[in-house]
Amino acid sequence: MKQSIFNFDTKTVVAIGIGAALYGLLSTITIPLVPQTGLRPAIAILTIFGALFGPVVGFLSGAIGHIITDLTWGGGTIWWSWVLGSAISGLGMGLVYASSSFNVNEGRSTKGNIVTLAISGSVALAVGYGISSILDVYLFGEAPDKMWVQFYASAIANIAVHLILGVSAVLGLLKLNRRNSNLRVLK
Amino acid sequence: MSKAGMLYIDSDTLFHRMDGAAKLIVLAVWTVVVFLFQDIRIFVPLFLIGIIMLLSAKLPWKRIRLLVWLMIVFNIFNSLFTLAITPAYGSEVSGSTTVILDLGYNVLTLETVVYVLTLSMKYMSLMPITVLFIYTTHPTRLASSLNRVGVPYKVAYAFSIAFRYIPDMQAEFRNISNAMQARGLGFGKGEGTLSQRLKHFVSIAIPLVQSSLHRIETISNAMDLRGFGKHSKRTWYSATVWHREDYIVIVTSLIVLIAAIAWRVQGYGTFWYPY
Repeated sequence: MKQSIFNFDTKTVVAIGIGAALYGLLSTITIPLVPQTGLRPAIAILTIFGALFGPVVGFLSGAIGHIITDLTWGGGTIWWSWVLGSAISGLGMGLVYASSSFNVNEGRSTKGNIVTLAISGSVALAVGYGISSILDVYLFGEAPDKMWVQFYASAIANIAVHLILGVSAVLGLLKLNRRNSNLRVLK
Repeated sequence: MSKAGMLYIDSDTLFHRMDGAAKLIVLAVWTVVVFLFQDIRIFVPLFLIGIIMLLSAKLPWKRIRLLVWLMIVFNIFNSLFTLAITPAYGSEVSGSTTVILDLGYNVLTLETVVYVLTLSMKYMSLMPITVLFIYTTHPTRLASSLNRVGVPYKVAYAFSIAFRYIPDMQAEFRNISNAMQARGLGFGKGEGTLSQRLKHFVSIAIPLVQSSLHRIETISNAMDLRGFGKHSKRTWYSATVWHREDYIVIVTSLIVLIAAIAWRVQGYGTFWYPY
């Protein structure tokens, strides 16, 4: 029987759920820049969960977490376009997980991995929220010029959070896990 | 169970009895219909129908008040923002120009005001149905209905876990933040510069993430012990049987969807300007 791609192990299921809860909860903390967009420290959660558990967890935590924020604190509307943006961001942040030299739980990483994480996450944020802005123009009929302002504000703010909070948190976790083991791998 | 029902309000109305999957289909159809059009003459009736449905669900105003206010405040800010940045956008869409105010860098046109009202009504018409859905569907039933409309059960279960653990995490967040504040770290406005506050935020986030990672281990071990994910299908304790009203509602919403698409394809429902 062919295995479905959604047939992940229990830990992945739980990681998606907990990641979504964290992202959804922390998304309520916003430093507003322009209406509907602001500096959201919660983006760092996507960086951490993406790096720890991979692109699938990043994608689904981003999507579910965003839906939860919208349902509970978003004024009763789910902004599907921005849900997709968060999901794509989470996906991009998880790409580095595929590299065999990168494992946060074992405290292993190379400089290249960290650079990959920083770049792929930033690109995913720009692409993801870019798609959100374009979808807003087509689905909601927002004015394109206004969407560009929101896009630039959100992209710059989110990339800053990703690089400053997210990547440094991952570095912190790496260091913490490295300290826990006195063993060295000889090759 | 009380923890899981963070937003859910227990009652016995038509919408509480309806199956979650049926409500999910109504919500999806409603969203698609709203996305298709750009006409205030469609959004106002939709909004009113939504409000009537919301009233019939007998939700206490006290509980939904905050969401309604958030939506209104959002619309006001969004409208002002649109008016300030693109004061002539409405003329681009409608093809006519009626200047009402000269702003210097651009002119504010009557068409833009109508456009902003249309947009606000578009958002407002989505609100009642979403509020209705989240307040009348129990989170565990939400997971089983997601599974019923075709979402893989592991994804549906992740949804349910997220809803289940938000209150726990809120409590944990409060504990850590109290502990940090007792050590003299401020998070509020005026308790430090922006960069300081961000730094203090990290000092909450790191323990919160650490404890969440431990929590993931505990929960997934507990689930593994109970054999979660052994089979490719799963049944739900909270699944309900579809009644006649569920079928009626689904058939009606599908007819509405087809009618709306047919109407849109013929070119109706684009931006409507009365003058």
